[in-house]
Amino acid sequence: MTDSAGDGLTRLAPRRDSDLARGMKRAWRSLVAARWPVLALAILIAVVVVAIFGPAMSPLDPNRQNIMLRLAEPGAAGPRGATFWLGSDALGRDVLSRLLYGARISLLVGFAAIAVGGTIGIVAGLVSGYFGGWTDDVIMRLGDIQLAFPFILLAIMFLIVLGPGVMNLILVLGIGQWVTYARITRAQTLSLREKEFVEAARALGDGTAAIIFRTILPNIVAPLTVIASFNVASVILAEAALSFLGLGVPPSVPTWGSMLAESRDTLIANKWWLATFPGLAIVVTVLSFNILGDWLRDFLDPRLKERG
Amino acid sequence: MWTYIARRLLQSVVVIIGVTFISFIALQIGGDPTYLFVSERATEEEIEMVRRALGFDRPLHVQYLSFLGNLLQGDFGMSLSYRQPAIDIVLGALPATIELTLLSILVSVGLAVPFGVFAALYRGTALDGGIMTVAMFGQSVPNFWQGIMMILFLGLYLKWFPISGHVPFLLPLLQGDLAAAFGNLPMALYYLAMPAVAVGTYSLARNARLVRSSMLEVLGQDYVRTARSKGLTEYTVIVHHALRNAWLPVVTMIGLEFGFLIGGVVVIETVFSYPGIGRLVFNAINQRDIPVVQAAVVLLSMVFICLNLIVDLIYARIDPRVKL
Amino acid sequence: MTRTRLLAAAGASALLFGTTALATPPADTIAVGLSADITTFEPANISSRDNANIARHIFGTLYNITGEGVVTPDLAENLEISEDGLHYVYTLREGLACHDGEALTAEDAAYTFNRAKNPDNKFTGNTPGFVFSSIGFESAEALDDRRVQINLARKNPIAFGLIAEVYIHCKDSYEKMSLDEASANPIGSGPYRLASWTRGSEVVLEKVANPNSPAQMERIVWRIIPEASTRSAELIAGNVDIITNVAPDQIDAVNASGTAMVQAVQGTRRMYVGFNLSQPFREMPGGEAIQDPMVRRALQYAVDVPAICKQLLNFECVRATGIVNPPNANQSLTPYPYDPAMAEKMLDEAGWPRGADGVRFAIRFQAGRGRYLNDVNVVQAIAQYLEDVGLKIELDVMEWGSVYVPLIRQRNVGPLFFLGTGGALWSPLYDMTDLARVESGTNYTHWSDPRWFDRWADIAATDDPAAQRKIIDEMLQVFYDDGPWLHLYFQPDFYGVSNRVNFVARPDEKVYLFSTGLK
Repeated sequence: MTDSAGDGLTRLAPRRDSDLARGMKRAWRSLVAARWPVLALAILIAVVVVAIFGPAMSPLDPNRQNIMLRLAEPGAAGPRGATFWLGSDALGRDVLSRLLYGARISLLVGFAAIAVGGTIGIVAGLVSGYFGGWTDDVIMRLGDIQLAFPFILLAIMFLIVLGPGVMNLILVLGIGQWVTYARITRAQTLSLREKEFVEAARALGDGTAAIIFRTILPNIVAPLTVIASFNVASVILAEAALSFLGLGVPPSVPTWGSMLAESRDTLIANKWWLATFPGLAIVVTVLSFNILGDWLRDFLDPRLKERG
Repeated sequence: MWTYIARRLLQSVVVIIGVTFISFIALQIGGDPTYLFVSERATEEEIEMVRRALGFDRPLHVQYLSFLGNLLQGDFGMSLSYRQPAIDIVLGALPATIELTLLSILVSVGLAVPFGVFAALYRGTALDGGIMTVAMFGQSVPNFWQGIMMILFLGLYLKWFPISGHVPFLLPLLQGDLAAAFGNLPMALYYLAMPAVAVGTYSLARNARLVRSSMLEVLGQDYVRTARSKGLTEYTVIVHHALRNAWLPVVTMIGLEFGFLIGGVVVIETVFSYPGIGRLVFNAINQRDIPVVQAAVVLLSMVFICLNLIVDLIYARIDPRVKL
Repeated sequence: MTRTRLLAAAGASALLFGTTALATPPADTIAVGLSADITTFEPANISSRDNANIARHIFGTLYNITGEGVVTPDLAENLEISEDGLHYVYTLREGLACHDGEALTAEDAAYTFNRAKNPDNKFTGNTPGFVFSSIGFESAEALDDRRVQINLARKNPIAFGLIAEVYIHCKDSYEKMSLDEASANPIGSGPYRLASWTRGSEVVLEKVANPNSPAQMERIVWRIIPEASTRSAELIAGNVDIITNVAPDQIDAVNASGTAMVQAVQGTRRMYVGFNLSQPFREMPGGEAIQDPMVRRALQYAVDVPAICKQLLNFECVRATGIVNPPNANQSLTPYPYDPAMAEKMLDEAGWPRGADGVRFAIRFQAGRGRYLNDVNVVQAIAQYLEDVGLKIELDVMEWGSVYVPLIRQRNVGPLFFLGTGGALWSPLYDMTDLARVESGTNYTHWSDPRWFDRWADIAATDDPAAQRKIIDEMLQVFYDDGPWLHLYFQPDFYGVSNRVNFVARPDEKVYLFSTGLK
């Protein structure tokens, strides 16, 4: 990003450093004015911090079972003088520690799936929109196939065969997302292709790759960011749904989705802490991504901006 | 317009072949499915016999091409676990799922429009805040969990709704038994209520927010201001001018929505033990019942394609700017 | 809100017109909630337990074996076995008929057997796949109107019990139907007939008018309810009378409901961790270690089976001493106690000391999910116990149907794997026959100890029950000492039973409702 912005100085791209700084300042003011997004941002920063440092903060080994102390209530005594602050699960593992570890994997799955889907989709969309012709046709037909194929069935088929695993989950969820990015990128590229600054870059003798990635791409990042922020939320939910079907991560790996899925047998027995804490973690995080995405869309959407 | 439809249908043939190819690959990379259809005491010869009988001894490309050949004649083959024509099994489960998805689209669009409109009209008030907060939560709760909670709370504790099951409406209707169909209708809706809400909540929440923001946008535009300044009543302005444009984005969503709802359907049909295509195909994938999976996938993508075509045609009609 | 009330009102009015039951089933109907879907009513293709439970109400069998292992006559009233044990002659009861009114004679019974055997029909159910291959079925023939003779290739001590699993039907009706038709339209010989079947949803059976019928209820409704919480909720709400597979953590909720109680039965299914001893697995990490019987024995001490039962299955279980159900087991054997110190000592002695990282050896542990009671949690707990004595477990939990079953069928799971195989109470040999030969499809561990496999010839050579018992006990001793299983438990079965009905659960996973009625 900073790279392309720097190059832009000599390449007539519409963005400059001073623009960026001004933009950031404006963004911050708008964020503060809207109030809720500030809270959402604060929550997300907290979640990211937990994801990074959670394992260091977690009081117990998240995978250490103790079936004699299973389904202990929050605050109950744990093994060796420890306390289950948020209770223990069906195998006597500490819910708090799993929640902290789970933050890392849930976010990792969310971000990595977006990275995979986004990368494939953006490249496909750029190529498709810039070159047009049969390349465009092939890529868009592939997109149609993907969209016509109910994603969950595709995910089930591949995850059953590949087996549960964080990497497999990321790949499947990521591939499920690419069409959205490809379509938006393509539409934007089509409209940018004929713009003056792109033609100027072409006139200056830039290579195709340089034009696509350095000149066009930076100008379509904004709408993609909006989509991505909503998408992280839906990927976290999709992970939970796949866990419910038994197709998420392996049973020893904690994610919020899998913890929630594991709680389903004990809901009727009123072991509320098993569902409540991972459920809250998911709701709060997903909510924050959605609120932030809303704000980002309002902020970046020129039409809404004009209305002030 | 007819050339447009023809072109779209031609493209969809390519799409459907692609869909069958992907599911064929996905079901085959797990290895030889023969072992799922032999008993645990089968000898090598017996296994070989079953393999030949099921056609899994042929090279993969031959298997796929012969499948395509049969498909052209409308033959999906026999279900490996039910031993009935695969298409019959899938068609038997389809009406229940269509009932479920239709009702959840109805829930998600029918409620989203008033919610979104009111939130927009009362922008910044407690009503707006309330609706949007609920919508935000609706978009953040995993549906299986919502389903189980509804069963325990609304079904078991309050006893407002039946816990699980299904009363058919479409099936007798399609069989021409109108009396049975409409006799069943109240019960069918009663049984459908909880699963449809569980499937539709996410979309309802998203659509309500969509309607709200597009309504806000429309309300700020010149022709609405003009209409107001002409002294038209607020009701006329909103219903005849603003609303017509505000729910356009929702119409576009409906087409894509179907694919998304099917995702929820697989999960929710399991929770509510609802006899639809979602659970059927999940079980079929698990038993590697390839003909059933193929029939279901082809049928679902055909529904998806047709739905999107219809949506595009409707869109072209209600939005004069769009030309086909 | 108004919408909700409207719908509720609509529903209530519909109830008055008597559509599908929302509340308690009517007095002449019993409703059962099953966890797994059923796929066919073709008698020769039925194999899953739930499927067989429904089918048994539609089809009669020659004899009947109760849950306690007692033999009672069903369609047949007499049996003569030839001297060499190769010919079984059954005499049918008089005046039998199939549901379409066709008289059921010896010719029909013979046809049933031969039809299932016919390779052109490509049947893979329990009858051709398990019964026939186990007993070496050759052919069946009618001797006269009421006597049918079954011919076997070899003498088999448990043939009688297995033949009693074959569903009997008539000839004319099945010859008229194509195989497709037969799989959805059973014409049986039992006390109930199929009234309706909605795939994935419910099966309704109706009592066949017959003055001698043992059946009490007019109608049995089997509902497919895969999700455990939903099943328990329906039971508590009183909408179904019996549910199978109550989740262990929901037992207390059901018992506290006041409308239903859970019947916990010690089942006969043998749960174990298998040690795959075949050559390819020997070359995998940990594969060499488990070749040593001393290591296998050491690991028996490492797992606290009673704790797993009590905590994860909500059941006080007896730890298995081997492959045979307790009443028929070698009574001199006592279950391995939980003694991790002993396990560590033996592993040290066997030459697998802990390394610098505390690990003795790494090994993969494979399991399927969703088939056995609380299986995912049980295998995780076992893995934890094994890690506690210094193993490094790579736990690999797979989808049961599509991935694990094919591996099992190819005998390609391991080096450690989790499995349960159905057993019975009426003969120790039934349980032992899984390991009839080294190359048996059910010898998933590729165990080949001659002290076990060579003894089958000795058993076949004697007719004296006491002598047989002695050989069996010696075989079970070998299995206990140096066998290929880490013995776990006999799986308990939990049935949720409404206070309305007088159902008594059986230990063999069979749900037969002939004598079940209202209290």
